[in-house]
Amino acid sequence: MTVAENLFENLRLELRRGCLTLAVLAQLRQEHYGYTLRKALADRGLVIDESTLYPLLRRLETQGLLTSEWREEDKRNKRFYRLSADGEQIFGSLLQEWHAINAAIDGIVNSNNIL
Amino acid sequence: MDLLDRYLQAVKKHLPWQRQDDILAELRANLESQLEDREAELGRPLTSAEAEAWLKEIGPPMQMAARYQPQQYLIGPAVFPTWWYVLRLACFWATTVYAIVSAVQIFTEEIPNWTSVLEATLRLPGVLITTASWVTLVFAGIEVTVTRYPAMFPEVTGHFVDWKPGALPPLDKHPASGKKQRGYAIAVVEVIFGFLLLGWLLLIPKYPYLLMGPGAVVLQVSPFQLAPVWVQFYWCVIVLNTLQLGWRCLALLRGWWQTPRPAEQIVMKVMGLIPLLILITAPDHLFITLKHPELDQARHGGTLDTINYAIHHGVLIICLIAVLTLLWEAGQMVLASYRKRVAAMR
Repeated sequence: MTVAENLFENLRLELRRGCLTLAVLAQLRQEHYGYTLRKALADRGLVIDESTLYPLLRRLETQGLLTSEWREEDKRNKRFYRLSADGEQIFGSLLQEWHAINAAIDGIVNSNNIL
Repeated sequence: MDLLDRYLQAVKKHLPWQRQDDILAELRANLESQLEDREAELGRPLTSAEAEAWLKEIGPPMQMAARYQPQQYLIGPAVFPTWWYVLRLACFWATTVYAIVSAVQIFTEEIPNWTSVLEATLRLPGVLITTASWVTLVFAGIEVTVTRYPAMFPEVTGHFVDWKPGALPPLDKHPASGKKQRGYAIAVVEVIFGFLLLGWLLLIPKYPYLLMGPGAVVLQVSPFQLAPVWVQFYWCVIVLNTLQLGWRCLALLRGWWQTPRPAEQIVMKVMGLIPLLILITAPDHLFITLKHPELDQARHGGTLDTINYAIHHGVLIICLIAVLTLLWEAGQMVLASYRKRVAAMR
């Protein structure tokens, strides 16, 4: 990997980090366990590594944004996650922030294109 | 599947032990579901090569486990600036104190030699590593506490909003063009040498040869001795050096070292005249006396008068030069200040 490629990769990961949290919170308005969540996100075009998604779920739960419970499904115990009450509130605020950033970036990029 | 079990076992070794089983059970359920899906798509179990490729996609066990660790660093970004500042300060003071203690130890030896100096120098890295380790250990503790109880340390976590921009230190004054700004290293070296000088001065009463060299032995066997005025002179020099050193340390800690103010330097020089004044006002201009005047007055009285006369006049000349230099510098300072004021008015 060249220096430029490495730099791009680091910046890409940095850019994705916050977006992934937002996508996970959005998707967990419906209950999911790890694997089905990953599949649901991938189906909508957002592929996340297992080693990123599963620890992220734990972290968000520790922060109080998710709740979880162990339940048997298809003869296998699985841990199901869903957005908590606090999580819903924070998700709403984050979504507003996301829209504002998106609009601003669009505006900046488009105005530069005109120039 | 044997390979998956082996993978999970490897992951387990690197997981935080309190939540190991819980995390592993969840990870197993997720990976088994994924495996089932893959096998359902293919309509057969994965071959060992396919299973290996699949696990390779997921990532190395250590990397997978590492993401579950609550904290990945010893000193976080919030604590780092303070840690770095304290570390530099601690290393500086450790070096200074160590240099003084070593110097005193070396000079109080029967015969000071270069081996002792070399040994003391070689011990310095160990002292610095120990200091740095302790500072880092304390700050790692602070980091853990701050991470767990952020509300207790709002200043550290950056949520401290009660600060006044007006209380920020003034802009660093840049020296007049042509004058070079003093570097931090020079200010540090001045402080270190200040401590060494003070240590050396304090050792002189016990080891006069440190000042006079072989002259100390000559003085010991000669009929002459130093007059009491030198004791007052000596302690005055010690007090002035201590004050100057204290000021330099303060300047270093507060950041005043960058641009020493001319007025401060003049005050220091005026204070430097005090020991000379003590010598000039010595009673009867006596700097050297006879150890046994009743026995040696007749033989060495003439020599004694000549020596005292020479010292007195020598001190007078030194004092005159110092006063003239001081007046010149004070005049320069007043002139510069006047020119600045005139330039500002225009």
